[in-house]
Amino acid sequence: MGVTETLEIFPLKVLRDLIQLHFLRIPTRPGATRPLFDLLERHNVSVKFLLEGCSGDFNRDLIICIAKDGFALLEPELKEVTDRMQAQALELQPSVAVVRVLGAHFDIRPGTSGLLFGALDQAGIKVFSIATTITSSLCVIPDDQVAAAERVIGRTFAVPKKK
Amino acid sequence: MDKQSKTIEIMRRIGAPRLERIRITGILQSPDLASLTLLMPGGNNDPSAAVLKLLGTHSINIRFINKYNDSAGNTTLCLCVDAAFLNTAVDLLDTNEKSLNIRDFMYHQRVKVISIYPHKERPRIAERLVTTLRMNGIHILSINNASSVISCVLHSEDVEKAVACLGDAFELP
Repeated sequence: MGVTETLEIFPLKVLRDLIQLHFLRIPTRPGATRPLFDLLERHNVSVKFLLEGCSGDFNRDLIICIAKDGFALLEPELKEVTDRMQAQALELQPSVAVVRVLGAHFDIRPGTSGLLFGALDQAGIKVFSIATTITSSLCVIPDDQVAAAERVIGRTFAVPKKK
Repeated sequence: MDKQSKTIEIMRRIGAPRLERIRITGILQSPDLASLTLLMPGGNNDPSAAVLKLLGTHSINIRFINKYNDSAGNTTLCLCVDAAFLNTAVDLLDTNEKSLNIRDFMYHQRVKVISIYPHKERPRIAERLVTTLRMNGIHILSINNASSVISCVLHSEDVEKAVACLGDAFELP
C-alpha cells in the first residue's frame, strides 16, 4: 500500500545559482578528500549538497554543490586539488539548484519518495542527484527548471505558503 | 640532547598531536536496515523513479537514497530499506530487472545509517567524519547530507566502533 493522502510538508527551500562538482573515481584511502575540504574551509565556502558513493572497483564518486561565487574562489586551485585527491576526473554541472523537500517523512511512509520522484520524472524535470535521509530530500536539478519543479511538488504535496 | 630530539622524545611520550574536537549536538543511529545498490542507464531512460514507485507500492520503506549519474551515462541508485523487507525488495527487483532496465544490483543485509548533526553545510564536519571513520578502518558504503544532518551508511558490525571513534573526533554535549 502506498501513500494515498496528500502529505503536508514544510515550505520548499530552494538554493539557486549553484555549481555541481563531481569528482570521479577517488581512491578509497583515509584523507583522500582532505585537500578539497581544506580548500572549501580555507575559503569559507559552504557545501549545499554532498553525496559520496561507490564507483565500482573500490573507488568513490564525490558530488558537492556550492555557490557560483564560492566556485570562483576555488577555481584557480581546483586542478591541483583534483590531482592531489587522485580523482580520475572532475565534471562540472553549471547552473543547478538544490530543492529541499522537508517533512514528508521518507523514513516512515512507504511510497513517499516514489511519489516525489515519479511526479518530477513525469513532468520532465531532470534530476541530476538525490540525497534523502529521514525527513528530508535534496534534489539537484537544472536552475531553469526550478519554477516547474515547484509547481509539480506543489501539486504532489500540501505545501504551505512561506510566511 | 638537541632541540629536535627533545621534540621527538616528547611526541613519543605523549603521542601524535590530537586535532581539536569539533562540537556537535548529537549522533543518530538508524534501526537495522539493508542496502541495495542498483546500476541503471542514465539520461532519458533513467528508471529511478519507477524503481522507487515499485518498492513504495509494495509497502517497502526507503530510509536513505543516494542517486547520481556518472560520466559513462549510468545512474547509480543506493537505497536503504528496513532489513525485514530485504527479501521482498530483492524478489521485486529480480522479477522486474528486465522491464526496469536494471543492469546490475547488489545488496548488504545488515547496515545502519549514522547521522551527525548539526552539519550546517560546514566542510570541516564532513571531512572529519569521513577521515575519522576511514582512519579507523571502517568501510563507508554511502554518504549524504540532507537538511541539518550528514549521514553515512555503515555495516552494522562496524557501528559500535564508529560511534566510539566519532566520540573522540567530535565533542558531544
